Amino acid sequence: MNRFSRYLVGFATLAALTSTTGLVVDAIAQSTLAESGLVGELEGATIIRDPARIPTSFSEAPMLAERVAAGDLPAVESRLPSEPLVIQVLDEIGKYGGTWRRGFIGPSDGENGNRINASDKLLFWDFSGTEIVPSVAKDWSISDDGRVITLSLRKGMRWSDGAPFTADDFVFWFEDLYSNTDIVPTPIADMSPNGKPGRVVKVDETTVRFEFDDPYFLFIDMLAGDTLIGGGQSVRQARGQTFGAYAPAHYLKQFLPENSSLEEVNAMAEAEGFDDWVQMLHFKKDWQLNPEVPRLGPWVTTTPINTPTWVMERNPYYWAVDTEGNQLPYIDRIVMTLAEDTEVLNLRAIAGEYDMQERHIDLGKLPVILENQEKSDYTVRLDLAFNGSDTVLQINQTYDEDPEIAKWLKNADFRRSLSMGIDRDQLNETFWLGVGIPGSAVPADSSPYNPGPEWRDKWSTFEPDQANALLDSIGLDKKDSEGFRLRTDNGERLRIEVQAVKAFLPWPQQAEMIAEQWKDIGIQADVREFERGQAMGRTRENKHQIMVWTNGGTELLYLFPRHAIPVDPTEAFMGPRWASWFASNGEQGVKPDDPNMLKIFDLFRSAGGQREQERFKTAQEIWKIVIDQQYGIGTVGQSPALMGVRIVSNKLGNIPSRVCIAQHCRTPGGSHPETWFFKE
Amino acid sequence: MLAYIFRRLIFAAATTVAISVIAFVIIQLPPGDFVDAYIASISATGGQVSLAEAEGLRIQFGLDRPMYLQYFAWITGVVQGDFGFSVEWRRPVSEVIGDRLWMTVIISVFAILLSWGLALPIGIYSAVRQYSIGDYVFTFVGFFGLAVPNFLLALIILYFSFVLFGANVGGLFSAEYQLEPWSWGKVWDLAKHLPLPGLILAIGGTAQLIRIMRANLLDELRKPYVVTARAKGMRESRVILKYPVRAALNPFASTIGYLFPFVVSGSIIISLVLSLPTVGPLLLRSLVAQDMQLAGTIVLMLGVLTVIGTFISDLVLMWVDPRLRAGLDG
Amino acid sequence: MSEQAATLPLGTTSKAASSAEERIAVATQLQLTWWRFKKHKLAYASGIVVILFYLIAIFADFLAYSDPQSTAAARSFIAPQGIQWFDEGEFRPHVFAITGKRDAKTFKIIYAPDPTQKIDVKLFARGYSYRLFGLFKTDIHLIGVDDGKVEDRIFLLGTDLLGRDLWSRLMVATRISLSVGLAGVTISLFLGVLLGGISGYYGGAIDILIQRLIEILRSIPTIPLWMGLAAALPRQWSVVQVYIAITVIISLIGWTELARVVRGRFLALREEDFVVAAELSGASQLRIIIRHMVPSFLSHIIAAVSLALPAMIISETTLSFLGLGLRPPAISWGVLLQDAQNLQALSIAPWLLFSAIPVIIVILAFNFLGDGLRDAADPYG
Repeated sequence: MNRFSRYLVGFATLAALTSTTGLVVDAIAQSTLAESGLVGELEGATIIRDPARIPTSFSEAPMLAERVAAGDLPAVESRLPSEPLVIQVLDEIGKYGGTWRRGFIGPSDGENGNRINASDKLLFWDFSGTEIVPSVAKDWSISDDGRVITLSLRKGMRWSDGAPFTADDFVFWFEDLYSNTDIVPTPIADMSPNGKPGRVVKVDETTVRFEFDDPYFLFIDMLAGDTLIGGGQSVRQARGQTFGAYAPAHYLKQFLPENSSLEEVNAMAEAEGFDDWVQMLHFKKDWQLNPEVPRLGPWVTTTPINTPTWVMERNPYYWAVDTEGNQLPYIDRIVMTLAEDTEVLNLRAIAGEYDMQERHIDLGKLPVILENQEKSDYTVRLDLAFNGSDTVLQINQTYDEDPEIAKWLKNADFRRSLSMGIDRDQLNETFWLGVGIPGSAVPADSSPYNPGPEWRDKWSTFEPDQANALLDSIGLDKKDSEGFRLRTDNGERLRIEVQAVKAFLPWPQQAEMIAEQWKDIGIQADVREFERGQAMGRTRENKHQIMVWTNGGTELLYLFPRHAIPVDPTEAFMGPRWASWFASNGEQGVKPDDPNMLKIFDLFRSAGGQREQERFKTAQEIWKIVIDQQYGIGTVGQSPALMGVRIVSNKLGNIPSRVCIAQHCRTPGGSHPETWFFKE
Repeated sequence: MLAYIFRRLIFAAATTVAISVIAFVIIQLPPGDFVDAYIASISATGGQVSLAEAEGLRIQFGLDRPMYLQYFAWITGVVQGDFGFSVEWRRPVSEVIGDRLWMTVIISVFAILLSWGLALPIGIYSAVRQYSIGDYVFTFVGFFGLAVPNFLLALIILYFSFVLFGANVGGLFSAEYQLEPWSWGKVWDLAKHLPLPGLILAIGGTAQLIRIMRANLLDELRKPYVVTARAKGMRESRVILKYPVRAALNPFASTIGYLFPFVVSGSIIISLVLSLPTVGPLLLRSLVAQDMQLAGTIVLMLGVLTVIGTFISDLVLMWVDPRLRAGLDG
Repeated sequence: MSEQAATLPLGTTSKAASSAEERIAVATQLQLTWWRFKKHKLAYASGIVVILFYLIAIFADFLAYSDPQSTAAARSFIAPQGIQWFDEGEFRPHVFAITGKRDAKTFKIIYAPDPTQKIDVKLFARGYSYRLFGLFKTDIHLIGVDDGKVEDRIFLLGTDLLGRDLWSRLMVATRISLSVGLAGVTISLFLGVLLGGISGYYGGAIDILIQRLIEILRSIPTIPLWMGLAAALPRQWSVVQVYIAITVIISLIGWTELARVVRGRFLALREEDFVVAAELSGASQLRIIIRHMVPSFLSHIIAAVSLALPAMIISETTLSFLGLGLRPPAISWGVLLQDAQNLQALSIAPWLLFSAIPVIIVILAFNFLGDGLRDAADPYG
């Protein structure tokens, strides 16, 4: 309820604001999300951890029963592990069958399927995204010194081709794949706390140990999060990645030179049309491309992603059951059809051609989506995210092309002024239909990472007078005839370039509106729209001044820090040079000359060895500095803008009224799509 | 004559080589490479790629090599019939294009037939009844089709055909036939889906054709032989259809050669908006993703088709027009 | 050339001219073309429409009333609101004040005019400041209001998502789009006439070379060509620089068509008796080309240009659709059409499709004009 009162306050301020500026067009802000009835309570399937509640008899889908009767498949009892994952479904025990129709936008949209199959992660988060629960691993423990993490596996668990899944699959991944520099050129930070590489050790068939030299309490979170080590086979062994802690040894061994010879595997690769064995291996282990690769997820690919229809069918060896012993998933098949363009995808969703779609659905189209609810027989749900800001102006601290601009970008008061020059209520009404929460980039108030409610507004309310005064005071007091502030070196107008990509939010348009607002504080901003790839290339080359992007994922700071602080050179919008310095332990890049950033780096590095409560404290400290310094200017967040507009066919059952929208929840994976079913 | 053909063949080959180089260069022009585009699309769809991984990908795809080496690697393959590997689709280029080539041919041929079927009668009518109300109406309607930005028209038609008739949204097949093997039912399903995209594709070209047909025929009708034929009391329909129409069609015949590449590249945006499984969106996507070998192959393919088309057209023209043959040496 | 052109309108209206036959006998080719063109009513009317559009382009800021860049959430997607001309039988142009409220069920903002609050619409009112002809700073606009900001009062064609006035944006866009077309055609014309002329006049190796170049350029599908070139433009370029570059890119393909036309005419004319006669009487090549050949196909070129212009304008909108053309904050027809190119616009704000109307009208007008000119260009036909 606190959320809704916050909205009301937001609306009230907007109403007050508009009336004082003398607009006749006002009083828009009367609507509330509560009134709309589109936002439900967080709910979902839960994992039963009490061994006494494991069902004793099992049943299976008719399509599998047929294959068992025909002798193609062993009986369901022998396909399931002795301790299957037991899932308490949300509403009712489901019925088997049906095809889930969905849309995807091309071969780069693999996440669309990965996320549905996210239960192939070792550990996972519950439906609310707050508590770690078992998934592939039955249980876990960490030694008192934080250096040894032990995972227990399920006895009798099998890959989708029926081969046993054991501790050997972990050792194979670690020794034969991850440690082979032909396949993985450089070790990942996830496996090397403080730059010291860890090890994977088999204890027995169903017990695996991860050993580290330094305390690594964070590792449990890493295993549960969408990280390189914990992401699961679907995402981490697709698209040329070779992470995720385990791999189907019995299948992949034939493609490695160790088990035959380099000539032999290269010959095999050439015969199949690959350049060499490494390229072949990357293809063979990729579940999106290769229907043959053994899997652990609920569905396996039958028609690969690089065709007009990506089709998945149930995994006959899936190791989870409902509380009555029915093997999951309920739904037989997922058919994703290629939409060349997201407009078409949205229109198809609106036309009821998909059974459940939250991906690529555009919040701006909500009125159209709602209009067609009855005609196309679906229900609309808005799922609110926990990250602070869907749109963050990330300010490049290592920009150096124009020293005058660089000087101001590095000036904290300048950044604060920019932030106070943004009228977030206007943005919220225009682009979020009024359903977001305006403010800084900190995660939701309910999050243990949040340093306190006052940080939502810190430097992040619309204060044009204060911003003007602050800008005057730092030496930007000279203006030209049109009221724009002048550079201090040559007296020309100070022009700041804002780089925006038209990706999943209308960022160029949002940036345009912000640029309009900045006119009132005398700042000229030039919005430059880039194609995604180009924008990435430019940031890699340290050429951008301000980059518009989201901070989705930063709600769990340690698992996805890159859009909160510049620590990951992949996407270091706040300072590529500093990020290289941090990631390479000082070997590359540039050491920050900003003591605040050095403090952030120290805090961040120390967190890996801290226990949970202490880690939260450290994260709060980091957020305080980040917000006080305004390295990233937050605008509007905690909204359904990214994957939070859900169109659900009324034929589907066990669908939560609200799901967790977050990177670590693997939306919609955290809600266990394998428990959804067609009611008729 | 043979010498001329031989010379033209050499020119055609040289043009093709030039096109392949230019194609490769233009595609390379934008800053960044496939891996940048790839990281961007992955992170925009909620995934992540590490820096080390990105470098690995660059080496894997040979993007760390200089451009001319990448070009030679590709073109050597092309000469041997291997068009390379699409890094975005992670399949051989020939397979990726092959999937869509037939659909492209079907829809393009349909659009061409449709626009000819509409344009020729209208063009003849407009020429014969110059400045009549019918002429004005047809010309206006034809030009209207030319004037409306067709990508906008495509989305409007798509949206309203759903709102008003509950029609399927985009694509060439209904969901139930999408995965089926070919059958009469599937052919019928395709036939039902063709008219809308076919019409939208045809609209722009039709106006052009009407105008050319009308102008050509007007020129012919003014010629003395037509006047003579009329004077001699030949039936009007025969006067018009016997020679002038045929003569006016000559320039058309010569354009057959490059109609197909023209329709394909002209339809890229419409195909994208209508989500048609054709080569058009593939080209656009490969350009955005900087999927060099795929984009290069499609551009080269269209370029070569145009060159061949032009070559054939020239031969056809020369065949029908002795005056041109006479001036060959000039 | 120039004095001939200048006498054109006079020649047509002069009562002093003797008999019609005599007029035809002494008329220059351009005069003949003009007389014939005037008979082509549709083309004649189209010519006037084109002139009107260029007038709009020149006076765009004066005809606009709202600042085309001014955004406000409280004005998002307002439907067009007409001017009320009479108040209780008295002529008093006014608009109603508007109030809006977001509906909690549909999430649309519902706007309602308030008939009790009448706001007078004034002529030559003050609004945002601009430079007339790019020179004189002023803030006078054709219409405006005294009561409050005009941005919150008048919505002749409604507003877009960001609450910007569509009418005003259309006016300003007209200027950019029409001049892109004009500039593009000028460049194409220059290249086309130069290279086409050289190719047609000299023939031989030069002809072959130029023809190959044209063939290569025409063999490359335009979209990749545009995408490659447009995406390669340095991003630090200002709107004006990008605008010039886009024009050049568009004309890079446009010139080939013109070159073909010119070459064809040259080839045909080279053999004509009057050219041979001029050659025999010792006229220099330059004189032959400028004095004898160009006038005889000038009307063809004018026709080709007026047909090339709409193609340029369409190209500009297409580039914008691809996200490669002019981009906001620049305002062009392509930019406006892009704003209309989504489902919410079609469904919630269909008035954004008004942006397509001037595009359609101008393209029609240019086509009819071009057709008429081409028909007229052949005066003995």
